[in-house]
Amino acid sequence: MVERLAVVGSGTGGTFAANFLSTKLRERIRAGEVRILLIGEGFRHHFQPACLDVAFKGSHPDAESRSEMELLRPEVTYIPDPAGKIDLENRTIFSVGGGVFDYDHLIMATGADVSPQMIPGLAEGSVNFHTGPVNAVKVWDSVRSFRKGRIGVLIAGVPHKCPPSPDEALFLLDEYLRHRGIREDVELTLLTPYPKAYPADKIAQVVSPLFEEKGINVVPFFNVDSVDPSAKKVYSLEGDEYAYDLLIAVPPHRGARVVRESGFGDEEGWIKADRRTMMVEGHDDAFAIGDATSIPISKSGVVAHLQSKVVATNIASEVEGTGRVCEYNGRINCPMEVGDRRAIFVSATYKKPPSDQSPSLMKYAMKRGFGAIYWSALSGRWEWIMDAYLGQTSEEVVKGAQQSAPQT
Amino acid sequence: MSAPSARRTVDSRGSFCPGPITDLFKAYRQASVGDVIELLATDPAAESDARAWAEKSGNKVLEVSQEKDFLKIVIEIDRKGR
Repeated sequence: MVERLAVVGSGTGGTFAANFLSTKLRERIRAGEVRILLIGEGFRHHFQPACLDVAFKGSHPDAESRSEMELLRPEVTYIPDPAGKIDLENRTIFSVGGGVFDYDHLIMATGADVSPQMIPGLAEGSVNFHTGPVNAVKVWDSVRSFRKGRIGVLIAGVPHKCPPSPDEALFLLDEYLRHRGIREDVELTLLTPYPKAYPADKIAQVVSPLFEEKGINVVPFFNVDSVDPSAKKVYSLEGDEYAYDLLIAVPPHRGARVVRESGFGDEEGWIKADRRTMMVEGHDDAFAIGDATSIPISKSGVVAHLQSKVVATNIASEVEGTGRVCEYNGRINCPMEVGDRRAIFVSATYKKPPSDQSPSLMKYAMKRGFGAIYWSALSGRWEWIMDAYLGQTSEEVVKGAQQSAPQT
Repeated sequence: MSAPSARRTVDSRGSFCPGPITDLFKAYRQASVGDVIELLATDPAAESDARAWAEKSGNKVLEVSQEKDFLKIVIEIDRKGR
């Protein structure tokens, strides 16, 4: 009998999971004992962090996009037809195009839906770089034609992908406007629901003085209520208002449509999963990774990658009957450029909060280096580099210990 | 006739910054004036964050109590929107 392993979602986590499973189970796949199916969103794969470069440096979006088929190992069967519904009870996936796929083990890497429409006026009154490269180009078009006035970077919902991205956007804007010699003509402001310029204290301690030095304002506790595009004003639930000439928003996020329509997500469509095993609540044959989950951790590519590795390792272990089980330790590692070719990394685990940081050229080079190896890393063949750099990202545990209730 | 006020418990125990304050904001977004939000948190920063937010937003911290192994922060929503 063939063991059917299905992965839903062809972003960072899903693509890596399918490839990594295939490296672990190559011989069984060749022997016809295992089949790996990846049900994805389309034919192109975008390196999402590059949207910052597109929006604020004018990089060409095609430079950070590849054919999904070229990224997959030959042992993976790719279905470029998005999942429309998942029946966890009967272990069946229904694609939008009418396909029906049964599975024995499922990995859901369904990501997040980013919806400016969830806030009145936001879609009409702002631009954003969180909904893909096409809209990141619109940000760049707005920024490069900007001459004078007020630019607000608005966090319009939490949680959102890439927590450092709003601050990084402001650092890159500052750098670009200085380069053009018009920085003194432009007021830059972060509108954030959080108390500080960054939610984690140790990172705020780095960002806040830099913002002050660069003349970047922060309006804290600003939970957006609505935007009036004609008046060019944004209003908060707390009663504040901000008049802008250009509004760059991080739109509200929610769980993927397939999760919301399948009925097993929480009220925002995030999947409830154990924070260490990523096992879906009540289903020992289904796992959720990356942006798709309600686990309180950064929605970032590194997290998707590391969770994916743990889940794929554990599924392969079960197929092989080795009894080896790993648990994710909550390792995050999010880079943030702070201008002038310097960067910091927001690094932590479940047990260790972000530590003291100082911006450096070395960290900037490391951030750029990660971008350069992204495509190769998806193949699953470069894990020794990830292991060497990130250190311990999971812990081996006694089998059975992972069967506990979610600890989110 | 206005709708009766509601009391909602938000359980952020086990979640670290910015988890509790994020959960509080989500509850605030869904609340109406007169509602009460009860935030349960193990992260000690939740109290200072919640107090600072309440002061800024014109809402009222009714109670902060240390339960056996978590904090209970009770906030009355007195103001929302313009």
